[in-house]
Formats: sequence, C-alpha cells, structure tokens
Amino acid sequence: MTKLTLQRSADALRRHKARGANSALILPLIEGAAPHDPALAAAAKAARFTAKAGEVLAVPGAHGFTILAGIGAGEAISDWEAGGGAGMAAAAGRAHAVLLADGASPEQAAGFAAGALLNAWRFTALRDASKDKDAPPASVTLAVASPATVELAWKRAVAALRGVLLARDLVAEPGNRLNPASFAERLRALRDFGLKVEVLEGKRLTALGMGALCAVGGGAEHGPRLVVLHWPGKLKAAPVAFVGKGVCFDTGGISIKPAAGMEEMRGDMAGAAAAAGAMLTLALRQSPAPAVAVLALAENAIGAASYRPGDILRSYSGKTIEVLDTDAEGRLILADALAYTAARFKPRAMIDLATLTGSIITALGHHRAGVFGNDEALTAALMAAGEGVAEPLWPMPIDDEHREVLKSDIADLRQCALAGSGAWGGRFLPDACHAAAFLREFVGGTTWAHLDIAGVEAREEAAPLGPKGATGFGVRLLDRLVAMRFERDT
Amino acid sequence: MPDITFVKSALPRSGALVLLLAEGAPLAGLAKAAEEATGGGLSRGLEAAKFKGSKGQSCTLWAPGAGLAKIVAIGLGKADALDAQGAENAGGAALVAVQQEREAVLAADGLTPALAASVAMGARLRSYRFDRYRTTEKEEDKPKLERIALASTEATKTKAAFAPMQAIADGVFLTRDLVSEPPNVLTPTEMAERCKALEKLGVEVDIIGPREMKRLGFGALLGVAQGSAQEPRMVTMKWMGAPKGKKQKPLAFIGKGVTFDTGGISIKPAGGMEDMKWDMAGAGTVIGLMAALAGRKAKADVIGMVGLVENMPSATAQRPGDVVKSYSGQTVEVINTDAEGRLVLADVMWYCQEKYDPRFMVDLATLTGAIIIALGHERAGLFSNDDTLATHVKEAGSAVGEKAWRMPLGDAYDKQIKSDIADMKNVGGRPGGSITAAQFIQRFVNGKPWAHLDIAGTAWSSKDAPTVPKGATAYGVRMLDRMVADHYEC
Repeated sequence: MTKLTLQRSADALRRHKARGANSALILPLIEGAAPHDPALAAAAKAARFTAKAGEVLAVPGAHGFTILAGIGAGEAISDWEAGGGAGMAAAAGRAHAVLLADGASPEQAAGFAAGALLNAWRFTALRDASKDKDAPPASVTLAVASPATVELAWKRAVAALRGVLLARDLVAEPGNRLNPASFAERLRALRDFGLKVEVLEGKRLTALGMGALCAVGGGAEHGPRLVVLHWPGKLKAAPVAFVGKGVCFDTGGISIKPAAGMEEMRGDMAGAAAAAGAMLTLALRQSPAPAVAVLALAENAIGAASYRPGDILRSYSGKTIEVLDTDAEGRLILADALAYTAARFKPRAMIDLATLTGSIITALGHHRAGVFGNDEALTAALMAAGEGVAEPLWPMPIDDEHREVLKSDIADLRQCALAGSGAWGGRFLPDACHAAAFLREFVGGTTWAHLDIAGVEAREEAAPLGPKGATGFGVRLLDRLVAMRFERDT
Repeated sequence: MPDITFVKSALPRSGALVLLLAEGAPLAGLAKAAEEATGGGLSRGLEAAKFKGSKGQSCTLWAPGAGLAKIVAIGLGKADALDAQGAENAGGAALVAVQQEREAVLAADGLTPALAASVAMGARLRSYRFDRYRTTEKEEDKPKLERIALASTEATKTKAAFAPMQAIADGVFLTRDLVSEPPNVLTPTEMAERCKALEKLGVEVDIIGPREMKRLGFGALLGVAQGSAQEPRMVTMKWMGAPKGKKQKPLAFIGKGVTFDTGGISIKPAGGMEDMKWDMAGAGTVIGLMAALAGRKAKADVIGMVGLVENMPSATAQRPGDVVKSYSGQTVEVINTDAEGRLVLADVMWYCQEKYDPRFMVDLATLTGAIIIALGHERAGLFSNDDTLATHVKEAGSAVGEKAWRMPLGDAYDKQIKSDIADMKNVGGRPGGSITAAQFIQRFVNGKPWAHLDIAGTAWSSKDAPTVPKGATAYGVRMLDRMVADHYEC
C-alpha cells in the first residue's frame, strides 16, 4: 500500500515546495467555486473547469505542480473520495503527492486520502514496475489543520482500505499461483490480525458431507477447502456471516467454457476475496460485531476426476442436486457453504457474495451488482451501504417461475434450468434469478442476502477509485453494513 | 366463447353446476340446496375426494343426482382472505372445468356482487381462444360451452359490476387477437385498419403513412420500415372521456408495433424467429387499452399512439452503420438493425409530446431479449424517470396480476450508447442491454414524466395461467386500465 503520512498543512506545503516538480499538490475544489489563488482561478476559468466530483485539472505553474480535484458539492464522502482518486491519477509519474484537506471534516479528509490510495493500488508482484512512467506517487501526505483530530477517521479509512487492497490482490493473482491450497495459506496469515482461521479440507469435508463442494473441487490437483474466519467482536450476539464463492480458476469443467476470455476466470474467487477483505477490515478497526466468513475454495478443473453433467450430488443440507452444467459450479459450492454456515453459526444475517452469473451482467451491466434475498430490511440496508461507498446494488426478484424450473425428475432439485429451455429459440434464460432461487433452498430460515457481483469484480477501464482490473467490490459495502446494522445489541 | 348471463340463484335441473366453496365453511345457499337435492351426495362426494376448499383445489362429482350431469367444486381458500384476483382465478378454473358442457350454472351466491363479477371476469378472460385459422379441428376437441349462468343473490348488482369488466375483457381480447395474428395477415396497414374498429366506441382514429412521415421527418422510424414491402403506419387513437370543465392534459400510451421482426440486415438466428410475429405486442396492448378505456367510458382524456412497421432484410433495408435523423432532430448511428423498436418509439414519442403535450407517457415494447435474461417471464421490466408514475404503474399491475419490476437508469448506462459520429448509437452492448435500450428511449423524453415497460418476457406465455390461456397474454391492458381508474379519472 502506498505510504501515507498525516501532517499539519503548513509543514506539508513547505515540504511540497522543497520537492519541486517531484511533488504534486492536490487541491479539492467545490463544483462551481473558484480557487483562492488568482493564478489557479484564472487557469480554472480558462480551462472551463467546473469541478464535478471526480474531474481534475492539472495546473503546472510557478508554485509547482498543482491539481485541482473536483469534489462536487463537497459534502458527501463519496465525492471527496472521487476527488482524491482522480487527483491521484493526475499525479501519476511524480514521486510524492500532497492532499490538502485543511478545510474538510475529519471524515471528508480521510475520504479524500482513501480515494487517492484506492486509485494508487497496482498489482506489481509479478512484473517489473520500476520503469513505469505512469506509476502513482509512492508516498502521499494528507495535509490537515490538525492531524490529531483526523487520526481516528483515518484509522477507520485505512482499515477499509487494507481490506479492499487484500481483496484486489487476491483477485488479481493468477490461477497458477492462487489455488485452493495457497489461497487457504494466505488466509491463515490473517491470524496476525486477530482473526481465528480454520481450514477444512480433504477427508474432513467428505466426512461433513459437503458433496457439492467436493464434487466441484474434485477434478483439480489441489482439492477444495472450506475456510472459516472468525472475528469474536465484543457483543454477545450471534455473528453476522459472510459467505464467499472462491473458485480460484473456472474452466467450466466438462461443460468447458469457450477459450476466448477464459483468462478472466482467475477472478472467479472475487466473492471469497471480498469476504476475507471485509473480515480483515473488521479486525483492523476492532469492530464490536462478531462476524464469521465462510469461504468455499475450489478450482473447477477439467480432468479424469471431474464431476459430470448428469451427476447427482448430496449436499451438506441433505438435499440432492442434479447437475446439468458443470460450469454452474458457484451455486453448488455456495449451497454447501450456506447450509453449513446457517447450521453451525445460526447467524443474525448471512450475506453471500459471488461472481455467479453472466445473466446478471446482461441485466445490470458493469455499474451495479444484483442483490437477492429473503429479507427486505437486510436488502434495503445493503442497498444503502452500497450507495454510501460507491458500490451500488440493485434489487432483483426471486419469483415462483424461477424455482419452478429447478424441479428435477430424479433429485431434490436441479442446479439450473435446462439448456435451451429459454425463450426465443432457447437463448434467453434468467439464470441469475434461477441461481438465487437455487441458493435460497439452502439457507433455511436464516435472514439472507445474495450479491451477484459478476461484472463489478473488475473494471474495464480506470476510474477515480482504482485502475483497470480488480475492484475489491463488496469489502467496503460489508464494512459499512456491519457499522450501520450489526454493532448494536439488537 | 360463451355468453355470460346473470341469474338469481336457483338450482339447475340438468347440466353442470359449479360451486365455489370456501375453506372450512358450511355448505350454504346453492351448495346447500344441491346437498339436499342429492340426498347428501354432495358432501359425501367432497369427502371422498378429500376436498377441503383450499385455494386452487377442485374436484368433479359425476352424475351426483338431482338430474345434474356433474357438480364441480372449486376451492376459494379462506373466505375472509378472498380478493378480486382469487375470485378471478376461481372463475378461470370454473370455465376450464365446464368447457365441454353446453351450459353451466356457476354458483357465486355466497359472494358480494363485486367478487361475483370478478368470478365472471375470470371465466371470461380464460374462455379466450384464437381459432380463426383452424379448419379441420374435430368436433369433440372444440369447446362446447355456449352459456354460463352466473347465479348470485343480487344478480342485477353483479351484472352492473361486471359491465366495465366486460369492456376491459373486450380490450384484452382485441389485444390477444392482434398479437396472435400471423405476420402475413397482420401487416402495418392491416393493423392500422383494425384500429378503426375503435371508432364505434367513440375513439377518434387518425392514421398516417410514409408520405406524411417523410414530410414530418420521421427518419428513425422510416429507416426501419424501408426494407419492407409493407408500408409503415402511425395510428393515433384519442379517447376524450374527461367531463367538460375538468379537462387536464391528456395521458399518453405509446406502443411498439413491429408486425414482424426478422432483425433486418442484422438478421436473427432461425430458431424461434416465428415468435417475432408478436413484436407488435406493445402496440397491440395500447390498442386494446384504448378499447377498454373507451368501452367502459373512462373519465379521462387519453391518447394512444402506435408506430407500425415491418423489419425486413432486403436490397433497400437499412444497414448497420447508417446514420438516421430522428423527428426530434437527434441523429442515431444504427449499429444493429435488430435494435429497431427503439427507433420506432423515438419518433412516435417525440411527436406525441410535440403535438399533445401529455401529462405523462407510458410506452410498452417487446424491446429486448436482455429483459428476459434479467427477469424471466413473470414480470416486465419497468423503467421510469418519475417515482410516482412508476409506483402507480407497478401497484396497478400488482392489483390485476400483471407484475412489473423496477430497473435502474443512470448516466453510467447512458454513456454506453455514445456514438463516435452521431448523437447516439442504437445499442450499448450486452451488459445491461435492457437498461441501455431504456436510456436510448429516455433521450426522446422531453422533460415529461415517463415510464417504459419492456414486455418482451410477458407478452406471450408458453403455459396456461388461471385467467390467461397460453399464447398472447395482453399483458399491460388491465394494468394500465387499472392505473387510469385508480389515479387519473375525474
């Protein structure tokens, strides 16, 4: 993570000047307002810069390299984040950046810096980035009137940031490096932050009766894992539970995917990564809320031991599942993870995250994730949390017809609708709704929501809050949800 | 389709008798009379059939005595939970149970006049059949039912309550006829001709053809039409039902009427293409809606407009890459000639606003396959720039069993239809396909409250529902009629 220091603005500005062209000064600007400095005001006017949130104007001048960063109305934290992020992007290629936020509230100042650091994330573990001309500044100063008053808000922002960056790193990791075994190892390292980590694998999973998870992961060299992360919190309450789909690589299995674009399937564990990131965040900020994350890790490989279309699996819940399409594997491993989580932890609420269906991308595109569930209040809380952290959701329905198509002749249910059974020559199936209806069969009476994050787990192009690639979508949303809803006793 | 008459409750001496029985209620009225006339045979038969009166349950007692050929018992569920939809569904079930009899008495004597009328409505709606092209159907396969006598305690009141429903059912049937008609019969010209039938209900019908469209500058609509040997039409239907002195701006309903959609040069796959005869269902629905409103003399001023075209590949067809100028003046780059419905709506909607300055616009269109991938067939996608209007649409739909689901709009989606050389392009890619289609249409909304119903998944049904036989559903007629009745009549 990019290094960030909190400094009094006078000190920070002095150092900025001393660094010359190696340092960029990022100034927040409210939409429609003019900068105090006459030269900057003239530049903004000449460039017709209106300071919409996330818009920037670079102004090289007598006082060094200044970036005007639009923060919209200057109220919402998300606007400060967008401004900080876009400002940071404009500072690329400089060694240092100073974010001046001396007029902001502590939360706004922290948001300004958080945006910048989210923008500055790069996955450089596997390439030589030393010669990148557009590398983000390696160190950032948040310049405020009184560092002590911002400290608390910043600590909280850092906790969320580190969760997001963990998730992004995991999503970016390729399938040859991040397999169920190595993923579990990396999750074990979260012990350092006060999380308890359990890894269930091999015969334990078989003995527990996780027939669905074992089948999906059975074709791979590295077998499936179920990783449980515990955060004890302080409240005497049942935990809130996150359940994540962690398919380290998804070939589709016997129902193999087309070759084009298959490399993106290294990110098919983004749900598990987000859940792990959220747990790290809760631990870092010492959330009072008890929480667990149950991560179903598997590689959906094609091999002699792969499961087949037509197979019937006995899931952890006892229900049998007829497999029609081995590429609809996410819902299978979630079925076991959800039923296990519900039975073992009796959580206050259970939220699963999964890059589950292409159908949700057709439905909502890349700008919103779909949320399904059995509890309107939880869905509404998730929606509100998502809006607050620029991870927007949209509610989607589970209708009778969606359950109807999962009826099987020879098992308790089918995993998906029969291929080709959709409208207009069989091409159109609401698979995201079918998948949600399937998952609902495994949650029992638990308060539950399902986030289908396919399409938002990675960006197609750079944005203020991050470069092209992994987004860490879900981490900040879950953190905000917990803060809003689960840190009180009832 | 059988006639429905309203009679005082009296036990028939022959034929079929349908009893509507609530769960756990003692036999009363006609049921009690039947019980006595059959010497207790009714209750013994019901017991033998394990009939409890639960919702949707039914059983048939053959030759129960008292000269009757059969008694059909239909469960209503708990009497105090019976609503209009439940009564309609019972009526639909009754119709199916007696279809092979010539006459039947339907005993609704335990119900209020309003609910009894709903029973009649359900029977009426379910009795629809499109058999105009069957010439060799065997006599025994045809439904024989000629007359249903609906027996109720207050026959006059029931009949009065049914009168407006009958008008709505007529509208529904008109829509179902139009949607069922094959595309070689129902060309744009023919469809426009059929609108004239509304004149005898007091609707003013105005038709324009390609010459007038060209003069007006309907470049978007004409671009779609230019590949077909069939001339396009635009039909305006005016129902001026608001009483003098209470006139407000009119309500506007606009329908997509692509009488057959081959996709044009961007031709569709062959499988399932026959379904594209109902790509005029939006227009068909508006026409049926206007018939319903006029038929029941709705106290509102309403404009119905439909754009009718056929989308054909040919030497004169529009090409991908063409740029057309819409009536609004905005230019459109046609990337995919199979995204033609929005082009038709664009011109008709802009014209509607210029000419009639409506209070709001609701458009209906079988617009995208993406909406089926998003939601399936139980709900239409609802897009709107106005929460009040959207709520009115959605709630009216729920009240009549035509459900809608709100879908998002937003700048991020709008960006997907930016064109390099024109004001917009007509497709935004697969992600969020129905949303970008709605964004396209929204660009032709000139500051008016507007709602768009994407009915691609709901216009046609592959299975029977209680009051909707499989085939053309006329989805939207009852919903929008209800919305007008609930909120927009004087």
